[in-house]
Amino acid sequence: MPLFFPQEDASDVRRRYKPDVIKGDMDSIRREVLEFYASLGTEIVDKSHDQDTTDLHKCVTYIRDSASGLDKSNQLCVLVVGALGGRFDQEMGNLNVICRFSSMRIVLLSNDSLIHLLPRTYCHEIHIQTSVEGPHCGLIPIGTPSKSSTTTGLQWDLNNTAMEFGGLVSTSNIVKEEKVTVQSDCDLLWTISIKKL
Amino acid sequence: MDLMHHSSTFLLPTIPLHHRPSLTYALVVLNQTLPRFAPLLWKHAQLRLCADGGANRVFDEMPLLFPEEDASDVRRRYKPDVINGDMDSIRKEVLDFYRSLGTKIIDKSHDQDTTDLHKCITYIWDFAPDANKSSLCILVAGALGGRYDHEMGNLNVLYCFSSLRIVLLSDDSLIYLLPRTHHHEIHIQTSVEGPHCGLIPIGVPSRSSTTTGLQWNLNNTEMRFGGLISSSNIVVGEKVTVQSDTDLLWTISIKKL
Repeated sequence: MPLFFPQEDASDVRRRYKPDVIKGDMDSIRREVLEFYASLGTEIVDKSHDQDTTDLHKCVTYIRDSASGLDKSNQLCVLVVGALGGRFDQEMGNLNVICRFSSMRIVLLSNDSLIHLLPRTYCHEIHIQTSVEGPHCGLIPIGTPSKSSTTTGLQWDLNNTAMEFGGLVSTSNIVKEEKVTVQSDCDLLWTISIKKL
Repeated sequence: MDLMHHSSTFLLPTIPLHHRPSLTYALVVLNQTLPRFAPLLWKHAQLRLCADGGANRVFDEMPLLFPEEDASDVRRRYKPDVINGDMDSIRKEVLDFYRSLGTKIIDKSHDQDTTDLHKCITYIWDFAPDANKSSLCILVAGALGGRYDHEMGNLNVLYCFSSLRIVLLSDDSLIYLLPRTHHHEIHIQTSVEGPHCGLIPIGVPSRSSTTTGLQWNLNNTEMRFGGLISSSNIVVGEKVTVQSDTDLLWTISIKKL
């Protein structure tokens, strides 16, 4: 965080960007970092005994269970940075978290793209924020083949089209309108490029 | 069911002479930062292709991997045999440079239906004599990272060409398909890869997969997105076996040397 504010004092930046919670199996966090945030009041949740779930899974579970403390009139949306890139098995584990928690809004973000799930239980309207995202996009049948998907608003729309790995997967598509609609018989991953500003 | 052997010998400084299976390597460079071991892959490959902007990467970044040498010498030494793709990313100066050195330029800008990687794999497939196809292994640098729809398109290429050995490589991981048509033996090169690994059922749920050689082995186990997938697994020992009712992606971490 201090690197984003090079003109400011690093300690000031670190105090301002203090996490509410640090959670996980604690095998990567440096001791000095843990102590720094613990001394500022960050809640430390040590889950080192739980080797069955990824760190992201643990955090999403924590958020879901804590959601009663948040404003119920708003829907919860979990933004995740750092889920992509690095070890591929971890990236897939993180994709699987958004598939497992399919009733929650979870958005994975990198410098280049964002990804979220479009559950098959709904028709979807995606309002494109053209100042910050697009035009490159894709719809990915990550877990099961889709016998039928239909879209509007894309350069290459799907029309009751079948999609599966080994066959057609909608990538290098282009957003053509400010609203994209999607309906499908299976959960699809929606991905769109983030503009370099 | 036939046995298929796998081994990441392309990450070793030299490939042992009597190593089996004996494979012919081709290298495809896509438009992402070159992995630090790109010169090693280049050395093992008998055919080197750049997909469109991948040529920019070779031009710009190979000299950076040899900072003590003159950049032009490095560029001449690392000259691709072919540049293939829709040509919307390659810089004109780079295209002219390699063309003047004799690189074959294949302009596929009319073909917007397939990704640049797909075009390169098709080229290699058409280029390799039938007798050699089963001993061909295509190494791909730059398929991961960057735009996520591109990454997914590149993973899909592995499934579309499931009878070809294609390995996607980044600095951190390598990935290849284990087709359901075979039992698999993966010989782990512990000096360069591991221990973190995974088996990923992309595209279709697996009703039954079985492994040996992993910390958390599968035993007729179901896997699917939304349920169990084998990630953050650990290789124990030097041989892993896998059999499954579906195509699985095998991924293993590459050691930082």
